[in-house]
Amino acid sequence: MGLNDPSRGGAPGTEARSLPGHPDGSGQGGVFSGAPGFLTTRLDAVVNWSRENSLWPMPFGTACCAIEMMATAASRYDLARFGMERMSFSPRQADMLICAGRVPYKMASVLRRIWEQMPQPKWAISMGACASSGGVFDAYSMVQGIDTIIPVDVYVPGCPPRPEGLIYGILMIQEKIRRSKPTEDWIAEEDLIEGLPTLSPETVDLIAAPFGNSTNQNRSSGLISTGAVVRPNDRQP
Amino acid sequence: MQGVKKTVVYNVSRGAELGADGGLVRAPIVPVETEAAVEFDADIGGEHMLINIGPQHPATHGVLRLVLELDGETVIKCTPHIGYLHSSFEKLGEYRDWNQIIPLTDRMDYLAPLIYNCAYAMAVEKMMGVEVTERCKVVRVILMEMDRIFSHLLWLGTTGIDLGAFTIFLYTFQERERIYNLHEAYTGARITTSATRIGGMMADLPPGWIEGLMEFVRTFPRTLAEVDTLLTNNSIWIGRTQDVGLISAEDAVNFGLSGANLRASGVDYDVRKDRPYYDYQTYEFDVPIGEQGDIYDRYLCRMEEMRQSLRIIEQAVDRLPGGSINVDDPRVILPTKTAAMNDMESMIHHFKVVMEGVRAPVGESWFSVESSKGELGMYVVSDGGSKPVRWRVRGPSFINIAALPYMIEGALLSDVIAVNASLDIVLGEIDR
Amino acid sequence: MSEGEFRKGLDALDSGPAESPKEAPSPPPQPEGLPPHPTVEALRERFVEAIGRHVMVAGDEHIVYVDRDRSLEILQWLRDDPAQRYDFLQDLTAIDYGNGVSLQVVYQLWSTIHKRNVRIKVELPLDALELESVYYVWRASDWLEREVYDMFGVVFTGHPDLRRILMPYNYAEGYPLRKDFPLRGRFSRAEQTRRALSMKTEDHYSPRELEIAARLGQRLPDVMPEGGPGIPSPESSPDGRED
Repeated sequence: MGLNDPSRGGAPGTEARSLPGHPDGSGQGGVFSGAPGFLTTRLDAVVNWSRENSLWPMPFGTACCAIEMMATAASRYDLARFGMERMSFSPRQADMLICAGRVPYKMASVLRRIWEQMPQPKWAISMGACASSGGVFDAYSMVQGIDTIIPVDVYVPGCPPRPEGLIYGILMIQEKIRRSKPTEDWIAEEDLIEGLPTLSPETVDLIAAPFGNSTNQNRSSGLISTGAVVRPNDRQP
Repeated sequence: MQGVKKTVVYNVSRGAELGADGGLVRAPIVPVETEAAVEFDADIGGEHMLINIGPQHPATHGVLRLVLELDGETVIKCTPHIGYLHSSFEKLGEYRDWNQIIPLTDRMDYLAPLIYNCAYAMAVEKMMGVEVTERCKVVRVILMEMDRIFSHLLWLGTTGIDLGAFTIFLYTFQERERIYNLHEAYTGARITTSATRIGGMMADLPPGWIEGLMEFVRTFPRTLAEVDTLLTNNSIWIGRTQDVGLISAEDAVNFGLSGANLRASGVDYDVRKDRPYYDYQTYEFDVPIGEQGDIYDRYLCRMEEMRQSLRIIEQAVDRLPGGSINVDDPRVILPTKTAAMNDMESMIHHFKVVMEGVRAPVGESWFSVESSKGELGMYVVSDGGSKPVRWRVRGPSFINIAALPYMIEGALLSDVIAVNASLDIVLGEIDR
Repeated sequence: MSEGEFRKGLDALDSGPAESPKEAPSPPPQPEGLPPHPTVEALRERFVEAIGRHVMVAGDEHIVYVDRDRSLEILQWLRDDPAQRYDFLQDLTAIDYGNGVSLQVVYQLWSTIHKRNVRIKVELPLDALELESVYYVWRASDWLEREVYDMFGVVFTGHPDLRRILMPYNYAEGYPLRKDFPLRGRFSRAEQTRRALSMKTEDHYSPRELEIAARLGQRLPDVMPEGGPGIPSPESSPDGRED
């Protein structure tokens, strides 16, 4: 899909967010491993420990996935076991956004706004197929993956994901926090440009291009190509 | 059962007039100029303010957005803005064949997916003139009544949270998890069931499923009684709900309300009784009717509906006949796997049904069932192809929520959340 | 199975909505002696020439086509006449068959008194999508008419607040449920995303609310203001609208 393409311009925030200081994954053997800088390492460990065990999620629930998110927080699955019993309904007191459910374009600016209102450091989970890729809703009104709008750390697949899936996604966020170096990288650089997608227009078009054979596609598989509806003049100034 | 009457036709105690033919006489609504509705007074103008709730707000049950104009704490004007979950279901439906639409239906109302699955399949079957088997009918009745409980439980839990009773949420989700398990045992999915097919179901009930269901039916009333003890006579609950969000019977009909919202106002309209489908006329059950049309009556109606659903499930399980669950009609049903693998005709048949889809004759059908939210209408229009020309859903929440401004204008700000919760909306079906 | 057959099957998948004929397809010829519907007979008696054909579909559903110019009068009569009393508007929607066929506006009515259904259809040629609103007959039609306007572009004259309901107020791509509207919209995905992210506060409010805010001298409740994240800008203009 070209997502790992180095030409993915216009997404300066994403590099900065990907575990700075560890380009080759070194030093990820564990937080207590002997890394240079005794004091800062210990401080990192303490800060990470407190962060990962008291995540305050901001539930951005829109559709079916929100019901599963409620089930995760309710009696049987009990998210409180992971230090997240305080769902933070205000983005200003939250550090993990769980985007659960499909996001139409009408909602896109709201999602971006809520992400910007959250203080650093912050993480995002894209829960479910629709949030991650548009899912079955490959139509005129739907955002094809919220990673075109905000940077996403963990994608949870499923339609909707089971509560176990969401919990696993949250554990992966905790793992990511455990490996981060707050003393070196206190605030993740994030260049979200007002009114613009996180990715370049070409990338947005590429990752939002139709695939699969569920609807009347112009690129259904490698097998056949039908009369593709190309709309070169669609772009408006 | 406090306050719930069962046999009222119309509630006349609250000013509604009965006409000679037994119907309500209603004065025509006087047209109001939009501008005149808001009078801008230079003196008090400064005291009004606009408040925005949503679209991301925990108490709007999704992504509803309300803009309220307040005078102090009194709501002068309320404008709901919807469309923050518009997923273009109806457009997508025009690009899918008849069976492929079924997975879309349960993403519309994810609180009662099986009712949506069944309603859609029933509409298409009615248009095509396919009569499903007796076993399929009874199974669908069981599934629909089970999901009515499923949906009402979520309504109860979230409304409890909105009014400050968090315990209810945990109680109801405990019971919902048991229905999740039943969903999963039958369809493999917890919410997005996609259980029906045109002409039948995706599979017969697995062995032991009915026993699991009956275990639920046997023990669920205990939880319901606990919730009843916690809420029905609770003075906080009564204070927040009684005489709040009133709507009279005549207005409720004119606004097109349906389901428990309409019946709480005293109108005896239930699709299961008025246009019975799947032999609902042979089941013994009562339709609870409210008197006042406030939140408390809606609560009582839904509580009673859950008990009645249990009654229907018990009767349906008793009469569950054997035999095939799928209709024997090659137009819509796949041949068995063994046949498809062993003889050429069956394989071609299999291929055609899968690749080209079921073909519906020219025609259309508007068919409605009583969903947990109200009257759920499915309108399918075919031009003879394997894909619909138009697939339209009359979402009960869409029309119920349109009456929200009428119910809360003049009320207090804190009542907005309570009234909104009491309507039992689901945004997936409002925005479609 | 031959290669050609397989390809034909695959093509069937890609063919999109079935090709429509030039006219709205009509159901097969009705059997002689259509079961009578009391409403249809009463309608013919009263509004002689304004009542078009009467069709029965799906076994028991009666459809009556009525003249667009007298639709409001007819619908009002259906609600008020003691022998009809269709007081419950179940549904109001539209159908576009594509290929230039007239758009159909559909009213699905139910009488809670006589326990009867009837479906009224009004045909609108595509170059004159205007119809009288039934807002004051059934309040249920308020949002339904707005939805038909939003999705098909039918203008309901007399509706007091006709504006888009599901799509954003500044949606520029057209009317999504028309057959000539492509499934993924008219703009490219990048353009759609860019437009969505550059929505301003005003785009989230109806014109009426903007007017109220202006006259109340209030800053609009914050949805997507200009300026940096998090901090409300102190020098917002007095009427609350930041340009």
